[in-house]
Amino acid sequence: MWVGVWLAVIGLIIGVAVGLKVPLVFPQAYGKYMGLAVLAALDSVFGGVRASMEERFDNVIFLSGFFSNALLAAGLVFIGDRLGVELYTAAIVAFGVRLFQNLGIIRRYLLKKSNKLKK
Amino acid sequence: MSKRYTIGLVALVLGLMLALQFRTTQNTEPTVPYDRASELTAELRALEKETTGLEADAGDLERKLSRARMGYTQAEEILRAEVKDAAVIAGVAPVEGPGVRVRISDPGERGAQSGIFTVRDEDLLKLINELRAAGAEAMSINRQRIVSTSEVRLAGSVINVNTQKITPPYEILAIGGPAALRSSLEIRNGLVETLRDWGMEVTVEDKDHIVIPAYRGSLRFEFARQAREG
Repeated sequence: MWVGVWLAVIGLIIGVAVGLKVPLVFPQAYGKYMGLAVLAALDSVFGGVRASMEERFDNVIFLSGFFSNALLAAGLVFIGDRLGVELYTAAIVAFGVRLFQNLGIIRRYLLKKSNKLKK
Repeated sequence: MSKRYTIGLVALVLGLMLALQFRTTQNTEPTVPYDRASELTAELRALEKETTGLEADAGDLERKLSRARMGYTQAEEILRAEVKDAAVIAGVAPVEGPGVRVRISDPGERGAQSGIFTVRDEDLLKLINELRAAGAEAMSINRQRIVSTSEVRLAGSVINVNTQKITPPYEILAIGGPAALRSSLEIRNGLVETLRDWGMEVTVEDKDHIVIPAYRGSLRFEFARQAREG
């Protein structure tokens, strides 16, 4: 069950290292999309870690969740821009709430584990 | 468990996007809120419109300025031409053109009564007067240009023109209609005939091309000032 956490951490480190080296800069106009994509990815990773802790991790659910979340978030940003309403706040709030929920559940699992180990 | 590599994959993508986003926001100015951006866009558009208006104004003014400058250069050219004409009329510029050359010298040895029958200042004055009346535009006596302040005057035993001594034989150059000038001098019972009667040697020649030098003295008026017209 630690595999999920370690995989996430290692992937994050490699991704950051590669991202800092790649000479690629996104146009400012896509900053919002990028931010929401980051949020969606973060949510998916936390969800995946939580699922792997619960030992009910499923590849298809994980990947489809990641892509559908990212696409919906991007769509909200796009439509919000067109309508002049900042719809993407909805995505931010939803992702944020889920992030904290997942973090809480992961925390509880970890605490339970450490308590069991101590006993 | 082996399926969980996707977590790592998505985490990798997440890290990549994080780093890119981080660098993007670092490289660029702090982001401007959307409202502010649209406001600034409107302002920019207004300023652009103003700029094009001002540019049109500038072009218009530049055209006007160049036109004014063209007028200026034209005026300058006219003034230059006027100055040139004035220089010719005043005699401070050399001139050329058709005219006559009059040579006059004292009687030779055969004229025993020297003194009375030498060429006098009055004779030269009469010649000049006659030529002027016949339409001479520029004249000189022995290379001395006759200008508005020129004198022809006996000083002692020599004649002065423009305060320069001149000595015989005298040569008068006059630019004007050659035929008119010549006939005014050689008219029957005219000046040349009279002078010849007195024993002086006078020759009048038509010339197609005469060059008359410029007046070399100074033209400074100490007392005369331009009067107000009217």
